[in-house]
Amino acid sequence: MRHAKRRLGLFILGATVALGQQRNFVSCPIVRDTKTVPCFLAEYEGETYYLGIQQDITSDFHPPQLKHEVLVEGRVAQGPRVCGGIPLQPVSISVLKEVNLACNTLLPPEPGIEAPPAPRGPGPSSRRPEGGPEAGSAPRKPVAGRQEFTVLYAFNDDYLEYAANQVVTEAAAYAKKIGASNVKVSGYRATSLLSNGDRLVEKAGLAEKRAQSIATLLRGLGVSRLVVESKTEAEPGDGQTDPSRRRVTIVVSP
Amino acid sequence: MRRLLVIVGLIVGIVLTLSAQYQDRFKNTWIEPGSGVTLPEFDAFDSVDGTVGVLNASGPVNTEGNPFFTALGTNGRACVNCHQPTYGMSVSTSGLVERWRTTDGKDPVFAAFDGSNCPGLPQEKESSHSLLLKRGLFRIPLSWPPKNADGSLKPVEFTIEVVRDPTGCNTSPQYGLKSADPTISVYRRPRPAANLKYVVSGGRPIVLKTGTLADLDPETGNPVSMNLMTDAREPSLKTQAVSAIMGHEQAHEAPSRQQIEKIVEFESQVYVAQQAHIFGGPLAAAGGPPGLGVAALRDRKAGVLGDNDYDPVFGLFTAWKGNDYYRASVARGADIFMFRQFWLRDAAHINSIGLGNPMKRTCATCHNAQMTGQDLSAGWVDVGTTNYPTWTEPSTESSELPVFKITCNRDADPHPYLGRVIYTTDPGRALISGRCVDVGSIVMQQLRGLSARAPYFANGSAKTLREVVDFYDRRFDMKLTDQEKEDLINFLGAL
Repeated sequence: MRHAKRRLGLFILGATVALGQQRNFVSCPIVRDTKTVPCFLAEYEGETYYLGIQQDITSDFHPPQLKHEVLVEGRVAQGPRVCGGIPLQPVSISVLKEVNLACNTLLPPEPGIEAPPAPRGPGPSSRRPEGGPEAGSAPRKPVAGRQEFTVLYAFNDDYLEYAANQVVTEAAAYAKKIGASNVKVSGYRATSLLSNGDRLVEKAGLAEKRAQSIATLLRGLGVSRLVVESKTEAEPGDGQTDPSRRRVTIVVSP
Repeated sequence: MRRLLVIVGLIVGIVLTLSAQYQDRFKNTWIEPGSGVTLPEFDAFDSVDGTVGVLNASGPVNTEGNPFFTALGTNGRACVNCHQPTYGMSVSTSGLVERWRTTDGKDPVFAAFDGSNCPGLPQEKESSHSLLLKRGLFRIPLSWPPKNADGSLKPVEFTIEVVRDPTGCNTSPQYGLKSADPTISVYRRPRPAANLKYVVSGGRPIVLKTGTLADLDPETGNPVSMNLMTDAREPSLKTQAVSAIMGHEQAHEAPSRQQIEKIVEFESQVYVAQQAHIFGGPLAAAGGPPGLGVAALRDRKAGVLGDNDYDPVFGLFTAWKGNDYYRASVARGADIFMFRQFWLRDAAHINSIGLGNPMKRTCATCHNAQMTGQDLSAGWVDVGTTNYPTWTEPSTESSELPVFKITCNRDADPHPYLGRVIYTTDPGRALISGRCVDVGSIVMQQLRGLSARAPYFANGSAKTLREVVDFYDRRFDMKLTDQEKEDLINFLGAL
């Protein structure tokens, strides 16, 4: 009965959240255990939002962490609640660096709350290796000429996540393949406009640090003729596309 | 009552018979440098409850003149002093205690430089070697701040203070942090010099855990696995051998290229695994689990991910399910290792690399490399053995190990779960990288031949496999039953 009341309450609150509405906020994440993989949630203004489920390192979604607040930047998506939360999709997750011991909520499984189907469960993987990295996927279009690669970061972070690692590797391979005459690496830092009107600005020096670390990687991967630059000022936030501005661009010219 | 006595008598008889059978094969053979013995292609040595196998895949090894078995420095030591076949190519405390007794502490393994708690201590006293004799720990003196290969100082993100110094070495005016050559002494177990094709495989250009370039093999220019040693400070077997000869053997001149090649050649063909169990009999018999025994280590491919349910880390144990008590227990232990879910939390370089904190997974998530159970990527992790509050020491005041206070700079990323002030008995990888996020991170060890080389963990804190399992049970609140613990212990002991 209590669960039913709670869900009804959540439903009513959820009705005030419009489809497509942007939700940018900082809060403690909540981990919801289920029969399969855990769900990651966060609360904002009395509403619970679903962020994603536990996956592996190659997943697009990298879950938040207990003991840390999380910056959530996502759009309210269509569809029913997931794991008790309104789904945000796309959603960007940035784990804030400082430890916050108050972020420690791990909820037990509850009847009726199930995680969406997971490509990988909590045990060992059942997926057998495919024929190669390209197996099963459509053949890539040959690329030529000037190409731009974008490496994205979490807020205030210069850690290169798995997907970003792949982008750098791809950029290096392309530069070497075409014998690039110029590889321009540009670092940026950005501002996040929160739903409550606050602005979070990435720390000074981060743009240069990001650019230099990418340049170091490219050199290590055998790329030469690098031009490295960084923008000192943080780019302004619009509350819609802010995660896309925490970046390094790599422009490879023939 | 009479029937019960008969049954008990029968059981005792069987145990004694089996014991005698294996007792005949028990032997402890400490190899001294320059002894000139020839190692057979295969040999088996006494381990806790069976025998550990040592396979020289290239055939019998004549140790005469072989630099692995020859003292190349000034203190009489050779590689073999700390990498004895008898002890799974490492060395156990039982072996060290026996060696102290038989040589009255004169064996070069007890060299003042690192075989004692600190070189300035009276070397004739057993208490001056307590960390080696009680926990199997050698002193590892590391320059602070760390240096690049060209001798320049690396940037560091934290300050380090000595809070407790039970050995006296870190506060020593001659050997300590404030000496003319600032040095931090940490105390670590020697890792087995065996099964090394698995340890050095898997080098990738970018380290997954840091998003930075992997170290390169200075000879080939190729990225290395960064799974060698407790802190991955040496990139290759060759550089490790040179470092060990100049350090542990206190050589004044660098070894020749030929000597290093001979050492690496020997190390690269030695395989170690548990071979038989006192009740379970031969472990690598046909039809049994395919990953057990030394021949499997010789024959299997290195660099294969085993965190899967079709070709798992140590192979399938299906053949032993429902078998006799011991074998069934090992098979259940293998299932626990692969499938028993628990909350992995607050482990830097596991939870912090995009997997989430906590995550519901199994032992094999981290111990994922086939045949050894190391991490297939660069394997340093802060599992909590060295950092307060999960460390293995009873308290700061009673710690047998030095305790350091690490304070992270304001502009550095803090340790992901301990913040900016960390108390630790060994900063681990951070002493090499200079990074706060690495404090307490230790490179995962291979899980083979364990029964021959207690104690466990890099700091020798677990005297038995039971204590290893208890640590994980406590650390991750696994809620293992007594039966599950026994099964895990039997499984680990069979590797």
